[in-house]
Amino acid sequence: MKGIKSDMRSGACLKLGAAAFVFGGLGLGAAFADEIVIGASLPLSGPLAGFGNFQKWGYERAVNEVNKAGGIDINGKKDLVKLIIRDDKTDPNAAASNTETLISRDHAVAMLGSCTPALVNAGALVAERAKKPMVTGCDPLEAFKSVRNWKYVWDIFFDEPELAAAQFKALKDLGIADKTNKKVAIWHDNGPDGQVVGGKIWPELAKAFGYEVVQNAEFPVDNSQFTSIIGEAKSKGAEVVLVDAITPQAIAIRKQMSASGYTPKVVNIEKGAEPVQFAEALGKLSDGVLVGGYWDASLPYPGAADLAKDFEAETKLTSSQHIADSYAAAKVLLDGIAAAGSTDAEKINAALAKTDKAYVVGPVKFDENHTAKLPIVSLQWQGGKTVIVWPKAAQNGQFLFPLPQ
Amino acid sequence: MPDLGVASSTIASGVLLGGMLGLTALGLSIVLGVMRLVNLAHGELLVFGAYVGLFFLQYSGIDPLLGLPVIALFVAALSVPLYRFLLQPLAKRGSEAQMMTMFGVSIILQNAFVLAFSADTRSIPVGYAALPLILGPITVPLMYLIGFAISVAAILGVHWLVSSTVFGRDLRASAVDAEAATTLGVNVNRVQMLTFALGVACAGIGGVLIGAAFQFGPSSGASYLLNSLAIVVLGGLGNVLGTLVGGITLGALQSIGGLTLGDGYRDLVGMALFLAVLAFRPDGVVGGRGR
Repeated sequence: MKGIKSDMRSGACLKLGAAAFVFGGLGLGAAFADEIVIGASLPLSGPLAGFGNFQKWGYERAVNEVNKAGGIDINGKKDLVKLIIRDDKTDPNAAASNTETLISRDHAVAMLGSCTPALVNAGALVAERAKKPMVTGCDPLEAFKSVRNWKYVWDIFFDEPELAAAQFKALKDLGIADKTNKKVAIWHDNGPDGQVVGGKIWPELAKAFGYEVVQNAEFPVDNSQFTSIIGEAKSKGAEVVLVDAITPQAIAIRKQMSASGYTPKVVNIEKGAEPVQFAEALGKLSDGVLVGGYWDASLPYPGAADLAKDFEAETKLTSSQHIADSYAAAKVLLDGIAAAGSTDAEKINAALAKTDKAYVVGPVKFDENHTAKLPIVSLQWQGGKTVIVWPKAAQNGQFLFPLPQ
Repeated sequence: MPDLGVASSTIASGVLLGGMLGLTALGLSIVLGVMRLVNLAHGELLVFGAYVGLFFLQYSGIDPLLGLPVIALFVAALSVPLYRFLLQPLAKRGSEAQMMTMFGVSIILQNAFVLAFSADTRSIPVGYAALPLILGPITVPLMYLIGFAISVAAILGVHWLVSSTVFGRDLRASAVDAEAATTLGVNVNRVQMLTFALGVACAGIGGVLIGAAFQFGPSSGASYLLNSLAIVVLGGLGNVLGTLVGGITLGALQSIGGLTLGDGYRDLVGMALFLAVLAFRPDGVVGGRGR
């Protein structure tokens, strides 16, 4: 056993050493003259890779468009934009160190954000300390605002209370709520947004909308076994299940619900049910699952339909909301640099503060908290695609009720 | 306190899942027992098995559980060059060098999975994996029962191989004293290569079962490595049947932990048990190097 223990200890050290070597060695070098370097740390691997790869496409598209048009006018001369992306492997520590590297070694003049509060905020704090402007999506606004009073970081995303309320409003407006027993089970991860949405906002909203919360269960973000939680909700007769979890957990939960013989009438899974891999991994089991959304190609925003069409033509994949917020964040940053006409951080930051324009996600104008709120819709998976089921004005599909067996 | 139906269903699920975890740990156990190697790529080899199962289904249309022998042979065959070119040259430099190598392999495999298959979370889409099995007040996932049955059969098969064949005799001799076995004419190199391949085959079969019952992605291997280490310690190093007992014990206790403390505390229970066994029964609950 001594051998095993010693081996394990050596293994841990080796793991750290090798990781440092492998990831430290990925430096892409300093910026060349006449290039405007912007950096991004993204979860291209690990549990959030489903988000990161969409974001990468959105960021690159915005940069490619600017470069195709000749670049950005800086002090009277057109400079091309160089985007450097580093993989944070869904690790907040890596997001922070990537941001540090992008600023200090790669000489990024401005940054684009990662995804989810844990990763975005980790990188944002580094950018804030270095006084480098950062524009991000994918960071719910309450979680973003709770960190500090930002001076250099700007967030374009949805507001958790609005997203959390969306499904309650949708069920009420569509007359679905009264077709359930109004017993709700809430399952959420212990990440910052999971605790805000599942731990605070949903229980309060449930009460306000006349539901009885029969279960509120929290689990770590890397949990994969949910049989006890599911069994308890089933035994308490919850017909509405609200989940806040990342994609691997979302897939595990939906699969284990079915394998446990538990089919409530309504299932809403925030975060994890958003990327298309959710439906790809689950097939028909994804049908009927609700997820709050902030974007769809059918919304009447400039370039929305083309964005999804181009993504699908290029990648042969189904599009995701994350191509829109990432593309919009990059466009806002590039517009800010263009408006500043300079790579000076203070000038870019001042230009970002004046942003007031319609982008692919709708109108973007930052408030005093450095946030721009995106309107919310309720999406439902049907046949491997999401349709907007609420609000009625934006509806492009009928609500599938109850959840199929 | 949860009601009786929930409690009995959860514990039954834990026992069945534990059987599957026992199979996933078996490969680690026999490689550790014979080669003294903590195979840090064990989790990634398990994930590789899950990918092979997924693509086997996609391209052949045949249920991967029916194709398990083919999948096991395939992953075992791929592990032979891994042993021959990476591990064998380091055999005389102690287990640390081999372990470092396997750590490198684990990182390379994780990145290779991302490059080859994308970082998406996958699941092997077999219809019965989402079906419940209802026996009175007890409901368990049907896939857990299927996985348990396959795991028990595989573990008994390996037990027979180790205890009743010439290869098994050589394997046991190599595990006890490789130098003495060599002087008695045992080709220890060949035994170690076949043991490594057998371990990878077990990981591959376990990967298919886990991939069908749950979800997996390029970085899923680490958590299964951790569980497997706990099971090896519980069951006793190199003890084939002990691995099954260790798996079932871990699965049952994790379920009780999930019931009493919440599903998020399953791993805490597993790791607490791991440390307790290391401290009080370092040869495992069942005992090391049994059959």
